[in-house]
Amino acid sequence: MNQKNRKISVIAGGALLLLLLPLVAVLLEETYFISLFSRIIIYGLAAVSLDLLLGYGGMISLGHAAYVGIGAYVVGIFFYHAQEMEPIISIPFIMHGSENALLVLPLAIIISGFFALVIGSLCLRTKGMHFIMITLAFAQMIYYFFVSLEKYGGDDGLSLYSRSSLPGLDLSNDLHFYYFCLFLLIGFLFLVKRTVDSRFGLVVRGGSNNERRLKALGINIYRYKLVCFVIAGAGAGLAGGLLANQTEYISPGLMHWTLSGELMVMVLLGGLGTLFGPILGAAVFLLMEETLAMYTEHWMVFMGPFLVLVVIFAKRGLFGLLTGEQNNNG
Amino acid sequence: MAERLLEVVNLNKSYGALQATKDLSFSVQKGHIHAIIGPNGAGKTTLVNQLTGDIDSDSGRIVYKEHNITQLKDYQRARLGIARSFQITHIFENLSVAENMALALFAHSGHNFRFWQKSLHSSSIRDKLPEALARVDLAARAEIPAGALSHGEKRQLEVGMALAAEPELLILDEPMAGMGPGGTVELSKLINALKGSVTILLVEHDMDVVFALADMITVMVYGEAIITATPEQVRRDTKVQTAYLGEEA
Ligand SMILES: Nc1ncnc2c1ncn2[C@@H]1O[C@H](COP(=O)(O)OP(=O)(O)OP(=O)(O)O)[C@@H](O)[C@H]1O
Ligand SMILES: [Mg+2]
Repeated sequence: MNQKNRKISVIAGGALLLLLLPLVAVLLEETYFISLFSRIIIYGLAAVSLDLLLGYGGMISLGHAAYVGIGAYVVGIFFYHAQEMEPIISIPFIMHGSENALLVLPLAIIISGFFALVIGSLCLRTKGMHFIMITLAFAQMIYYFFVSLEKYGGDDGLSLYSRSSLPGLDLSNDLHFYYFCLFLLIGFLFLVKRTVDSRFGLVVRGGSNNERRLKALGINIYRYKLVCFVIAGAGAGLAGGLLANQTEYISPGLMHWTLSGELMVMVLLGGLGTLFGPILGAAVFLLMEETLAMYTEHWMVFMGPFLVLVVIFAKRGLFGLLTGEQNNNG
Repeated sequence: MAERLLEVVNLNKSYGALQATKDLSFSVQKGHIHAIIGPNGAGKTTLVNQLTGDIDSDSGRIVYKEHNITQLKDYQRARLGIARSFQITHIFENLSVAENMALALFAHSGHNFRFWQKSLHSSSIRDKLPEALARVDLAARAEIPAGALSHGEKRQLEVGMALAAEPELLILDEPMAGMGPGGTVELSKLINALKGSVTILLVEHDMDVVFALADMITVMVYGEAIITATPEQVRRDTKVQTAYLGEEA
């Protein structure tokens, strides 16, 4: 079997598994799997958006959770104000809360993207270690900002009591919610795949490898990296909005650097610059957490060495092992 | 008819106590192949980097097409039609050979904020890509990651990308180095074929190539331009013979 076909089979197999999983879970009366895999899909979406930075753009961001958190808080804050029937802001115009997914999820995307634009435009003026540290610093700043917001529960966060509403679907139904998340993941993957293969994507991928040559060709990489950073932030915001719905709970923990680190682990496990790999990485990470945590709270003791082995022996992560693909991204 | 494309006036660059280029002044006529020769460490690459904006000059002036470009950034100069190859290969090792060449071809066809169409299917390059690859003998290697090419092939790609940008001023820093005898002959032919249509600044150690191709030669020694003249004059010049050619003979 040639490599391309093998890759297509792996992707098709994964898609089929995710499509059929809820039906199997219902048949086996293990409906718990539906919510577990909803989580995997949402974290997968966040990890894919991070892969855009790490694997394609060569931008090592250690603050990606900030955008997940902002997306979650957008959904949470709108929900809270809809419940309390109190406008979010009344000056200079009145903005009411909302539980409508068609409003709050796009807002989660836009507002996270906006934060990525502002933060990215500053961070991208630095390189290497400085870039890593400054992305982390901004994320921690946002974390502490939300810790200080007493109105929305401060440190403890906020329970939402129900999920967003969506015409035609009942998101409170785990089955509906699962397919809704899967649909969004597929849509996001499709967009990212097009972007990565496009002329824009070529510039970004080239810039991650040799910025000097790109400049010699007349291309200033800064703006391209910034747009890439915004797309990644917006994707993370969508994941955050879904996560708030999935758990019906938001807290500053969603912005903490530990979540940024976990997302990074998912990308590395699944395969840097493989686009689909991070979803596999999210699945392995969360399933390991789920099973190992039953035996020990120090489950990371097992995750750590496993990650080291994968990173050393599989250049393209677990996804690369499955597809037999070891280099060339895209 | 002689029209100046590039003029360098009193250009300087020091690295600490070492003055890599010293009061360099010369000009390049449009359509010429202008060679820069000089012993190792003479400052040729430093000069190239100053011209392309890869490094800032300490003082002096660079005038291109009657515009002072000394303060412009590297990518801005590239957009004015200055393309270069690097002495030390700078290619996109993570991209395929075709994608490398595509990026060079895109340089002159509008902006790159195109998110939808596959890059290699873009109408602005589809027709030019096969030719650009064939020109440096890489057509058969199009699909391979550039990082997997042999050393000689990487050199071909390096030079091919500079050519593909369709520059008005093409700066080649030792393009023949590492190409092997066959590649050197091919590339000489290629450069000769461009004669007249593209202005070329050629840094090269291979004297046979230089004297066969160049219209004008600037000889650099210890950061200074000791002469800018025709190949015949340079060959006869006693300063050059003692300072440079004499050493080699
Ligand atoms: N970044 C740098 N820092 C310090 N010294 C440098 C730097 N770059 C070049 N030099 C020094 O400047 C001098 C000129 O170097 P340059 O590379 O321009 O010479 P060259 O003529 O291109 O030599 P070659 O024929 O070997 O390519 C050399 O003595 C070199 O060691
Ligand atoms: Mg040199």
